[in-house]
Amino acid sequence: MIAQLRAELFKQLSVPTTAGLFTGLLGLVGLAAALHGLGLTSESLAARDNQLMVFGRGEFLGALFAALLGAMSITGEIRHGTIRPTFLVSPWRSRVVAAKVAVCAVIGAAFGLAASALATGVGIGLLEARGIDLQLDGGDYALLIAGGAAASALWAAIGVGVAGLVRDQAPTLIGISAWLLFVEGLFGGNLADISKFAPGTLGMAISGQEPDTLLAPPLSLFLLAAYSIAAALAGSAATSRRDVA
Amino acid sequence: MTSAEKIYRATPAPAPTAGSPGSPVVEIRSLTKRFGAIAAVANLTFSLERGTVTGFLGPNGAGKTTTLRLLLGLAEPTGGEALVFGHRYRDLPQPARRVGAVLESSDFHPARSGRDHLRALTLAGELPAGRVDEVLELVELSEAAARAVKTYSLGMRQRLGLAAALLGEPELLVLDEPANGLDPAGVHWLRTFLRGFAEQGGTALVSSHILAEIAQTVDQVVIIDRGSIAASMRIDELEARGKGLEDVYLALTAGGAR
Repeated sequence: MIAQLRAELFKQLSVPTTAGLFTGLLGLVGLAAALHGLGLTSESLAARDNQLMVFGRGEFLGALFAALLGAMSITGEIRHGTIRPTFLVSPWRSRVVAAKVAVCAVIGAAFGLAASALATGVGIGLLEARGIDLQLDGGDYALLIAGGAAASALWAAIGVGVAGLVRDQAPTLIGISAWLLFVEGLFGGNLADISKFAPGTLGMAISGQEPDTLLAPPLSLFLLAAYSIAAALAGSAATSRRDVA
Repeated sequence: MTSAEKIYRATPAPAPTAGSPGSPVVEIRSLTKRFGAIAAVANLTFSLERGTVTGFLGPNGAGKTTTLRLLLGLAEPTGGEALVFGHRYRDLPQPARRVGAVLESSDFHPARSGRDHLRALTLAGELPAGRVDEVLELVELSEAAARAVKTYSLGMRQRLGLAAALLGEPELLVLDEPANGLDPAGVHWLRTFLRGFAEQGGTALVSSHILAEIAQTVDQVVIIDRGSIAASMRIDELEARGKGLEDVYLALTAGGAR
């Protein structure tokens, strides 16, 4: 298993995709935090929940990009055909998928950590520049950043699992993006109570966002971990059972 | 002495470690693979002995690649079994040290360098890191090793695939259309390499459509048509009968899959 972990980490670091995703993530987080910090009114930004929302853009985008990274660890191998030499050298497919989950979770955590720290830093800087009082304390910041890292790690595992089930790159990446950017936003009205249990919303809750309406961070962490394990196991089972073209 | 002869002789000979002396290196018994109502491979049976190069021939769609995928554990048979050294491929403890295979000439990430492609495989297969430069030299790709694979010609990709197959100093090579994209010098190099590999005790199964080349390289041929064995014979038997491989092949596969 150590050999698989080393191989998967090397694969991630020996192509420009990982660095490209990381750069794109940081650029988008900086832009999102800056637009919120500059565009919202002073009255709106003075509210604690809105400050959490602005700083929480890091968790949201970190989770999305970590999921895409995890998904591409499988769909990229299928797309380029490297899945064949991978399984010829390591025919124990569940072990290969487990190594992908572990490596992508670690890199995903780094994505979430950096994105959350950047969003928080940009947000604090803009609020102070506009003379708006910060309503958050050290515990809030720690939860934003640590929660962002944890949510992104778990979403990376979900990405690996979904990719193992779907296999084709375009539908996998579009499906993950559509779910996080669009579908979960449709849960409202009579479905509002259900939305608290949706995996994207659980990621927000882990980092302490909307504490009055979302689940508590520890419970959210437990539930998102359950989603991640279920997705990874399903993806592993599908990868082990299906023929490789 | 050609570069293939020179470098191959610098490479340790494959260790004869099959399950029992005299047992087939590859044993395919009643192998069947169905895709719905279509039998891509139907009740196929043949075996390969140590120290031989076998040409695996058949028209397009005859089931050659499917058979190789079944042999290498990339697909599950519907019936029968395909054994390597007496075991299913996935039951070999360290398959990369026993079997080297190339199924497609394009199985690389285009942005990864040739050397890094090989390094990833040595890490996964727990193979010595020094083998990367050895096999790059063997296939004459040392100078291009740091370049992204997307800059490689088809022939260079073929040689990189062969380098990957040789990382574990395997006893068995399984190659699907290895001469595609090679220039005449590359084809000559491959032929010399395969003959040297077999003389050192290695076993090779080579799928190809280039019958003239196959006739010069292999000890025996297995010809399949529509998923079933059409013929299995030694090349010297053909020569003794005064028949050419192409005549026999065309007679056996007339009207077969395309």
